Amino acid sequence: MYAIETENLVKKYGGLTALDGVSLKIPEGDCFGLLGPNGAGKTTLIRILTTLIRPTSGRARVAGFDVAKEKASVRGAIGVVPQAMTSDLDLTGLELMDIYARFYGMGKKERRERTDELLSMVGLRERAGDLVATYSGGMRRRLEIARGLVHRPSILILDEPTIGLDPQSRHVVWELLEKFRKNDRLTILLTTHYMEEAESLSDHVAIIDYGRIVALDTVEGLKKQIPQKDTIELTVSNIDMGKAKEEISGHPSVSSVAVNEDTLIISVDNGANAIPELVDRLKSLGAKVTRVTLKEQTLEDVFIHFTGRPIREEEARKVSFLLGAGVPRQWGK
Amino acid sequence: MNRFKAILERDLRKFIRNPLVVAMSVLMPVIYLVILGNSFQGELKRLPVAIVDQDNGPGAERVKEALRALESGPRTFELRTVSSQGFAMEGLREGVFTGVVVIPPGFSRDLARGSVAELGLFLDNAETIAANAVQAAVTRAVAETGREFVSIREERAAPRLRPIELYRKIDYDQTLIPGVVIMAIFLGAMTTGAFNIVMDRFLGVEESYFLTPLNKRDIVMGLVGSGLLITTIIAVTVLVVSSLVSGIYLWRLLTIDGFLLILAVIVLSTLGLQGLMFVIMGRLNHPRIVGVLGGFMNVIFFFPSGAIYPIESFPAWLKAFAYVNPETYSVHALRALMFKGASLGAVKGDILFLAVFAVVAVAAGTAAFKREL
Repeated sequence: MYAIETENLVKKYGGLTALDGVSLKIPEGDCFGLLGPNGAGKTTLIRILTTLIRPTSGRARVAGFDVAKEKASVRGAIGVVPQAMTSDLDLTGLELMDIYARFYGMGKKERRERTDELLSMVGLRERAGDLVATYSGGMRRRLEIARGLVHRPSILILDEPTIGLDPQSRHVVWELLEKFRKNDRLTILLTTHYMEEAESLSDHVAIIDYGRIVALDTVEGLKKQIPQKDTIELTVSNIDMGKAKEEISGHPSVSSVAVNEDTLIISVDNGANAIPELVDRLKSLGAKVTRVTLKEQTLEDVFIHFTGRPIREEEARKVSFLLGAGVPRQWGK
Repeated sequence: MNRFKAILERDLRKFIRNPLVVAMSVLMPVIYLVILGNSFQGELKRLPVAIVDQDNGPGAERVKEALRALESGPRTFELRTVSSQGFAMEGLREGVFTGVVVIPPGFSRDLARGSVAELGLFLDNAETIAANAVQAAVTRAVAETGREFVSIREERAAPRLRPIELYRKIDYDQTLIPGVVIMAIFLGAMTTGAFNIVMDRFLGVEESYFLTPLNKRDIVMGLVGSGLLITTIIAVTVLVVSSLVSGIYLWRLLTIDGFLLILAVIVLSTLGLQGLMFVIMGRLNHPRIVGVLGGFMNVIFFFPSGAIYPIESFPAWLKAFAYVNPETYSVHALRALMFKGASLGAVKGDILFLAVFAVVAVAAGTAAFKREL
């Protein structure tokens, strides 16, 4: 049974194709990261899955319900944290939680308990009686995560959950998501254009670009699919460089070695594990290793491999909260 | 029901958190009453009129006396005797005078002979209302002078018009109260209900509501419900305050039944306008458009409602609009209930129209509402 299943989803806005045939299967209990630059179609996909817009063609099932035909059932089964900050500023955190709980038909006692529990978990219990207008960006985001979980959904969908947050708040959100995932046995679908976010949270990552899924696997699996390896640089002295290169090339996980003056540039699988062995080999020849650097293969490398360019991170940061996820403006650039 | 109540409660809380809006919603219509009541006075007063007497005879004297009587009595005029007609005409052109009465040479002689004696009356046509008032008053004054020549017996037999007012004396500003209450309802309907959805949309908040199991009806009914509650409270407050301001003590004037009927008119008018706002603004996404539309619609509905000027005097096309304008029926019903002590029978037509309008408008507003991004 899949928590989310899409079949050839297409969404067109006039002449623009925002989604160009997306097929996905997300198993229950998975944390699924959808990685892509702005305008890649992430928000469009999320909005179709959350019943906010209708696909031009294709089908999608969320929690077993058809998003076009069983909207009410889908809405009851999912919790959503939209990209833009969507909390009423004129309400207190507690009021907001309570009103949303009522939208889901929860009784008074249940509401009070659940609201209390969630506000404590997201660290807002002390501020529950204050107007949301007085909250910081990180607090609002935490409140929205709590709001999305108030009715105990089986699937939590987050659209760019940490966009615009400072690094510290971002880590708090990540920890929260890990915690909720364990406690509530949630399936999580999140979109992001932060590599670190996708890498640290997701079991599976799909890379989406120009409305198409261009790669889908576990983070490790994706890394294996690309030719780039980890790179180790060893600066050595007291040894003939030709001899050093020969010795290093003989190591089973090393795929190539280049020499730049007194530095060996080594392309290797699983660099962190290989370093001690490589250093030992050189030492046994009487060499002295004066400097070691390791550049690990990242999701960024994966992204560049599949899309042909780095993710447009700088541009993405400019997205304002109010404009938020609108109709993709830069489509087809 | 619980969902509808949750939306309603959300709106009430948000409204109460903006005390400035609450205060303005009550104050503005009352200020409107004070301004309107004093700028559109029922009878015009102290209109500057120049007299140029080129006759200097007894006939001229009688005309001037009759005009002076209007000056000191109802203060219709402020008269100034001017010797040069040219000077008087210049004053008229410059707006110093609203009218110039010229008594030509030979006026007394013609009057004495019984032949047609003519006065010259020059008016500032650019000030239509004032000009009409001057013309009417001068005509009356001249007619008075003519009457002295009829015999006493005939005068006794002559029919005399003595105005009898059917209802208690009502000042002009008091007759504006129903209009002011309707305006309060309009402003209330415009700044609550559908306006909240426009603001939510503008701020991007609506998205999170659409993600919940709320259906179209929960949302529209919740917003209309909160708007109805707020607007009714504002309208009743405006009714009481504006009555006090213009010297009416409602508790002496109204029976319980009368008050309940007034409340019914207010509630139905509010519902109708709330629904109408959903039809018109339900899909807008920027408060600025609401501002522009609101100012426009207020004029379109308010002025042809009979709140200020009687509908009977409208041209046919405007009259036709007045008959489908819900505010017309609200004003008519409120006026009858407040000043004529009307019972349900007298206003049942109005109430029926308002009820049908409310049902149709709310249904259409719900149908027009788009519960999608």
